[in-house]
Amino acid sequence: MSTIEAIRKNVYDGDENNTVELVKKALDEGKTANEILDDGLVAGLRDCGDGFEKGEKFIPEMLMSSESMKKAMEVLKPLLLEGAGQGSTGKAVLATVEGDVHDIGLELVGTMLETAGFEVRNMGPDVPTEDIVSAVKEDNPHILGLSALLSNTMDVMPDVLEALTKAQLRDSVKVMIGGAPVKQDFADEIGADGWAYDAASAVPKAKALRSELPE
Amino acid sequence: MTYYMYSNTQEVTPYERMMASLNGEKTDRVPVNFYPRWAALEYVGATFKQAWDDPDLYVKAQILAQERFQYDCIIDYDMMGPVEEAIGAKLKYPDNDVPQIAEPLIKTKEDMKKVKWKLDPRKDGNMPKVLYVIRRLKEELIKRGRGTQQVPIMTWGSCPSRTAACLTGFKEWFLIVARDPDWAVELMELALDGWLQMVIAAWEAGVDCVWVNDPVSARDCISRDHYEKLTQPYERKFIEAIKKETGMNVTFHPCGNWHDRLDLIYQNQADCYFLGPMDIELCTKAAVDTNAKGLSRVKALNGNVGAATKSTIDGQTPVPYGTTMKRGKPEDIEKESKVVIETVEGADLRCILGTNCWDVKGSSFANRDAMVYAARKYGQYK
Repeated sequence: MSTIEAIRKNVYDGDENNTVELVKKALDEGKTANEILDDGLVAGLRDCGDGFEKGEKFIPEMLMSSESMKKAMEVLKPLLLEGAGQGSTGKAVLATVEGDVHDIGLELVGTMLETAGFEVRNMGPDVPTEDIVSAVKEDNPHILGLSALLSNTMDVMPDVLEALTKAQLRDSVKVMIGGAPVKQDFADEIGADGWAYDAASAVPKAKALRSELPE
Repeated sequence: MTYYMYSNTQEVTPYERMMASLNGEKTDRVPVNFYPRWAALEYVGATFKQAWDDPDLYVKAQILAQERFQYDCIIDYDMMGPVEEAIGAKLKYPDNDVPQIAEPLIKTKEDMKKVKWKLDPRKDGNMPKVLYVIRRLKEELIKRGRGTQQVPIMTWGSCPSRTAACLTGFKEWFLIVARDPDWAVELMELALDGWLQMVIAAWEAGVDCVWVNDPVSARDCISRDHYEKLTQPYERKFIEAIKKETGMNVTFHPCGNWHDRLDLIYQNQADCYFLGPMDIELCTKAAVDTNAKGLSRVKALNGNVGAATKSTIDGQTPVPYGTTMKRGKPEDIEKESKVVIETVEGADLRCILGTNCWDVKGSSFANRDAMVYAARKYGQYK
């Protein structure tokens, strides 16, 4: 097994310490930061996400994988930023809507977006709608990500969209939604721009939506 | 079509109807219980914070709403918070929602030594306020029933895993489950007593039945293996302790998708299961099967309008949290209620009609009426 494959496996297994050591080893072997990130860390997290979908992995295991990735990113991030220069993929603001205290998925999405080069402001759980609107006004993000895990809190999402429209901010930002009860048809119904099933699929969706906005 | 009807002074009272169903017995028809916090508050036009600051307002809301909607059970404050606050957690009190933990109380093993685990609900924190509401509800019900209590009062308790997760923070709890199961056990062991004492005190104050829930052990959260070895034993321990100390019927609410572990939850030994967004046929069949094997004592199933569709029964497909009560129409409520009643009663278990989680904030009065109407239309015992 190559070092990159071992990184992928260790992220999948949620072995934080081994992952960091393997990342250092891969760098010593001359692998690039991007290669380690894409083929090792992100691939491992995606494998974990696939496992979650199949019912083989659950939240504790996903978190361990995410923690492995975060620790490894402490080593890689300076090298990635060096390589990327001053530019970023885009800006994202993330929030779990008001009344909902769940933010694990949101954190995973934040991690994934950061690794994809987004500047991420994660507002955390239970964020009042007016605070979300203020954040969009201040940060002028390309992507607003909203999360809800409960059926009664997902119904806050349309309120956020309406508030953005009233504040004349709706057209300046692409809104993505996610969370256990949230599906594509709900996203279509409320006029969100995108929906992602999990953290891994949030990245290509966010990138696609970002490309629809001017530079 | 209007769905509003009737008073409490029928031949069978809501008290008799509900308590019989929890015991696996029939009276005149299927009762309705959807844990009516928001029905009550919205009926009197109060926010939760207003009712928390004025307990008599909460009492008034519960009494008047039951008389208006004619469901078969009322609830006390029914919320997380008082026990956790007494242990040492700081809460935030939103304007129109139940309190939430402001920040995790226990971040390290050392923190466990600094908090108060042994509680007296009659004295500590805001727990006496919860007991006051119960006593006032009891007084008011007996007064309105002219000496007889005609509507039962249900209280709530938090299963040890839920309490532990509230104290550590949900994300940290799941990491503890993964990294340090021994610490998870220690936390649940300590967390169990606070809510047990609260439920006992609530019973002494006058509640008639109790429901307990666990939202952190569903298939949406942890593996069946973690559930079986770690958290399910503590759910069972909590339920059995409540029954031993109070003799009350216990309802267990598996919050979320538990399709792959129904056999295990029924072994918690609760009398009734308030089902989350799951397939009612699957849940009913599993209850009958585990009862037949002598592993469980399920007498009633409560719920679960607004629930899962057939496509989610494999235990792996993510379950949509149905919001029929809020987003559906009265005819949707009626249709889904009929399915639930016929499925559960058809298996000779008692059906207590309700939603797939507690009463949804902002549901229409018409939808709530429709549920009671459906119980009367489809749930009459012949």
